[in-house]
Amino acid sequence: MPMPHKANVTQLRQQSMSAPRNAALEMNGRIQVDNVSQKFGGVVVLDDVSLAVEPRQFISLIGPSGCGKTTLLNLIAGLIPLASGSIGVSGTSPNAGRRDVAYMLARDSLLPWRTAQQNAEFGCEIRGVEKEIRRLKAEKLLEQVGLKGFEDSFPKMLSHGMRQRVALARTFCLDAPILLMDEPFGALDAQTKLQLGEILLSLWNKEQRTVVLVTHDLGEAISLSDRVIVVSARPGKILADVAIDLPRPRSARALQKDHRFHELYAELWSKLEIALGGSI
Amino acid sequence: MSQLIRPPLWIGQVIFLFALGALWQALANYGFINPILIGDPVGILLFLYNGLFTNYTLVPHLLWTLWATVSAFLIGSILGIGVGSLFVAYPGLEKFLEPIFAGLNALPRVALAPLFLLWFGLGISSKIALGASLTFFIVLSGTVAGARSVDSDHLTLSRMLGATSTQIFTQITLPGAVPTLFSSLRLGLIYALLGVVAGELLAARAGLGQALSLFAGSFQTNGVFAVLFLLALIGSCILAAMNRVEARFLRWK
Repeated sequence: MPMPHKANVTQLRQQSMSAPRNAALEMNGRIQVDNVSQKFGGVVVLDDVSLAVEPRQFISLIGPSGCGKTTLLNLIAGLIPLASGSIGVSGTSPNAGRRDVAYMLARDSLLPWRTAQQNAEFGCEIRGVEKEIRRLKAEKLLEQVGLKGFEDSFPKMLSHGMRQRVALARTFCLDAPILLMDEPFGALDAQTKLQLGEILLSLWNKEQRTVVLVTHDLGEAISLSDRVIVVSARPGKILADVAIDLPRPRSARALQKDHRFHELYAELWSKLEIALGGSI
Repeated sequence: MSQLIRPPLWIGQVIFLFALGALWQALANYGFINPILIGDPVGILLFLYNGLFTNYTLVPHLLWTLWATVSAFLIGSILGIGVGSLFVAYPGLEKFLEPIFAGLNALPRVALAPLFLLWFGLGISSKIALGASLTFFIVLSGTVAGARSVDSDHLTLSRMLGATSTQIFTQITLPGAVPTLFSSLRLGLIYALLGVVAGELLAARAGLGQALSLFAGSFQTNGVFAVLFLLALIGSCILAAMNRVEARFLRWK
């Protein structure tokens, strides 16, 4: 007697769940920016910006300083309230502190009283990941960023580049499908920057996540991204959206001698000059 | 290859100190300066030795002062940290009380000693009150300044991680405040000693300050110098101990 009834319920449940679950899967990691405008005290910082980032896509925002690229990133992060337009992050509105987003700043912002290992674990710790799991994860990531043997070092004993590597480990430790990075290597010298770009690429190749990277370094943008978006000087508008068709996996170092890389560089540079033109 | 090996610094320092003592002794022995005014090093050392190890005249005074200092420090710093944390948690409260506290803090606290004597009597309580009142304000401002020194990047990071306000307090604000808090505690301990000794000088039943005024009043100059030496020693020990604790707790600094 209860058999057909039970089967029925299961069938119903499957039907009702499959549709939204598929939709959710599609939305997971997707960022949708529609007609976003933002003003700070009468100054228009962003003017009608629309942009879509597919799940697991790596995009860079590049443009003159003060063009609003960081503002756009912070809007997606939910750090500042949205004035007009709409933003969808995995199908829901932006919110600082949501678990599917990890954020990385230009400064390493390591806690000086924690060792490299404890710093790498910090994000997971705040988000309540179990002690043993986060310890192993952080250990593995520190090894991947080339800091094996430095687990017990305090930040003051580490160089700039090493500290930013710990910050990378902390960011990737989070398992968030969306990474927002605000000039993460901006404060480093050219050599270290290239090295960290390489590390970021290798981490991203292992588990592809949606990345929005704000940078002012065109070479970095091209070597890392699937798409480079050029933002104009204030008020920030999208001037160009260029797909980077370089094959993956890439090596930031090898690309320095790649013909296509330089072609793209020249193409984007001319676009960037237009963007800069507005501010000169 | 005539490279001179530099002798360690402390050898020079010991020789210098010894020479100074010898000069002092000579001045006193040959009557260049009246020994009633300056005492003499051998007499001072003897006084100190006897007072501590044979007739024990200094021991109760020493214990009395140490006990009062430790109590004053504990009371003053616990209250200072407590009120300071309240100020950090409720900035409105700080704004409201600020003028009163600023006035109290500007008042030379030693001037409160007669009042404390009136309230708490000639015993140890009035000294503890005076010392604690000095420590309190130092630790209070150290707590507030420490908690305010939070790095804004750390706050952004915590916001993006979804940290609760309890997590922000225990993981970011508190550890970040420790260095500033610690230097205020060190200063607070020295000032607790200052308050206690000042109170004892004024009027007391015992204590190094009381001994000091007693010896000075009866022209026992060697006794005065012996107590001063003891006070300097206590101060140095306090600083050395605090530095050790700090080095242990603030390895990351």
